[in-house]
Amino acid sequence: MTATEKMPLSQPRAAADARAAKTSGVVALLNLEAQIDGQEARLAGGSLSAPEQNALIELVALRGHILGRIADYEWAAERADELCRSCAEDPLAWVTRARARARFHRFDQALADLEEARRLGADPCVINAERAEILQATGEYEEALVHFRESAERRADFATLGALATLYAERGEVTAAEQCFEASRSQYRGVSPIPLALLDFQRGHMWMVQGDMSRAHAWLKAAHDSLPGYAPAGGHLAEVEAKFGERDVAIDRLRTLAASSDDPDYAATLARILVEEDEEAARGWRAKAAARYDDLIERHPEAFSDHAAAFLLDVGEDPHRALAFARANLEVRKTPRAYDLVRRAERAAK
Amino acid sequence: MSDHGSGPRAFADPVVDITDMYVFPSPQRPGTLVLVMNVFPSAGPTAFFSDAVDYRFRLRPVQIESSGPAAAFVVGDTEHRVTCRFATPAATKSGGPLAQKGTCTTSYGPSVSFLVNDAAGGETKGLKVFAGRRMDPFFFDGPRAGKTIATGKLSFEAVGLATTAHQNILSVIVEVDAASLTAQAQGPLLGVVSETVTQGGISARLERFGRPEIKNLLLMPMNHDTVNRAIELRDLYNQDDAFNLGKAYAGAYRSRLNGNLAFWDGLDGKTDWPLAANGTHPLTELLLADFMVVDVSKPFSEASTLEIEQAMLKGTPHQTCGGRPLNDDCMETFLTLLVNASKGPRISDGVDAAPTPAADSFPYLLPPEPNPPQVTLPPLNPAK
Repeated sequence: MTATEKMPLSQPRAAADARAAKTSGVVALLNLEAQIDGQEARLAGGSLSAPEQNALIELVALRGHILGRIADYEWAAERADELCRSCAEDPLAWVTRARARARFHRFDQALADLEEARRLGADPCVINAERAEILQATGEYEEALVHFRESAERRADFATLGALATLYAERGEVTAAEQCFEASRSQYRGVSPIPLALLDFQRGHMWMVQGDMSRAHAWLKAAHDSLPGYAPAGGHLAEVEAKFGERDVAIDRLRTLAASSDDPDYAATLARILVEEDEEAARGWRAKAAARYDDLIERHPEAFSDHAAAFLLDVGEDPHRALAFARANLEVRKTPRAYDLVRRAERAAK
Repeated sequence: MSDHGSGPRAFADPVVDITDMYVFPSPQRPGTLVLVMNVFPSAGPTAFFSDAVDYRFRLRPVQIESSGPAAAFVVGDTEHRVTCRFATPAATKSGGPLAQKGTCTTSYGPSVSFLVNDAAGGETKGLKVFAGRRMDPFFFDGPRAGKTIATGKLSFEAVGLATTAHQNILSVIVEVDAASLTAQAQGPLLGVVSETVTQGGISARLERFGRPEIKNLLLMPMNHDTVNRAIELRDLYNQDDAFNLGKAYAGAYRSRLNGNLAFWDGLDGKTDWPLAANGTHPLTELLLADFMVVDVSKPFSEASTLEIEQAMLKGTPHQTCGGRPLNDDCMETFLTLLVNASKGPRISDGVDAAPTPAADSFPYLLPPEPNPPQVTLPPLNPAK
């Protein structure tokens, strides 16, 4: 693809979406905030039950994902730790902490929490689903696939088909993934745009990895249009826009994200896009990203070695550190991307 | 808790979760019926109504078909609807706060526009509307009701836990001209349900509310169900029409209600509601007709919830307007009916009133709790 390649003219799914009434993304995000605020008030008043605390932790983590707030993930992890201490006999507390730990790629600890939840009598279906997510994250695709296929065959609904689609996408099986993405979409019955935006983001990300930027653009834009402020969709959309030559649009989008999010990926991408035309600005964003990656690597080495390595291989310009991080990442997740990162780092470090 | 979080779908999207409905003649404006639908439990300050959902009341004439142990209503075919629809919030001026406009339409003519959270609401002849964030008027010790279900022993204490105290909800409050609603009716009784439904070609029902605690106390617990003890019925129940229950799942609802009603009846160690030979509880059919019945010919009464149904069961004429006023301790009335058929001591949950009672004039519900206690999330970590 070249910078002069035309932007895609149509987004058929986005048009189709307009026919089905969904709550506007602005309202959905404000209501997520309202939900969290309301539950926090009850937490402070001491009237939040253990299941409700689990739900609050998941809500805060969801906000963390949507807005690109690592601070929310950290709050969720700390709260989950506390819940396991205060409600040690509640299996759901251990499931919640397993999720929180998996978000920071502490997969062994997450699996141990799931075992504890199982011992305490958690629903085996819940445990198996969580375990399969971890298997997918660590690159053990075959075992994860068995679980996701069984789940979807048992009950083909929005969640099971979406999980299967995402795994196929990660395996690069785009035809199967597309079928499952489409089937998942057709099963959605709610009015909240959030689940659909999350699904469309995964679909857009798949096409981005596959190098089909037109399709990637369509799905990332659909995700971002239905949920304005959805940071990961906006960040990847900006990357695609930059590849289509829409640099100003991409830069504006990334500047906003870099200011609102504490995830250094946006500053790193901005530095990469700016480097050709505004070296000084690029240097500033690169420094900001580097400092933040250092900070995060210190606190959550398993979770950020992957992205830090990618940054250092690119505008971060430190292939030796990149190689160290890439190898550390491969220790915790043996995914094709992790292997590829190590290979690229080894070549660059020579 | 009443209908807060009454099923997985409601949990997933609180903006469609009907927490309560109240129906009562206006204490100050004779001939006016007040309809209140609350959604979004524990709503924080940024909560807005969905712009993809219709928030509607459906009202049908009902008549008492039979009294005594087989008390039942017959529902008329004519139906009136009062529907509120909300726009996407927008800033009234550049950089200003978001504001949400709403429109209330009725099947019998009047419609009016209003601004969400405007205490004056919107008003036209025969119709007055407020919509916005208010303090939740519901009061009940939900945790100890849960403990009762878990332990099989009445677990309420002298001083209860009012778990929704000082919490806020989004409320739709409508005053309608009662005469317009009963013009075609055979009598003064109306059955009322509130619903959240999708907008668009097919109006899919997301939630419905007729009487408090039908779903959370009587349909959620599975252990006493003799037919199935694994299926979450509340989302299915929410999709069914209260005035015309579908046949597909009616058997499952009946079985669940029979089991749970017998459980509540047995909590005082005696049987006040003997089951029929086929296991049917005497209240099952009456409660499955899950709409709120109000007599618009009677004046406002502070304590009228379920009075019409209880009079029917006794075979006597009802004395009050029925429906559900805001400050009525309806949960104690309901629990007493379930546990001892209202023949024994009142079953108290230790929460006899809201911390601050609702008002007796429009918009009735109190302004939102202005300073709910907060814990503060850590600030975004700045880059070093």
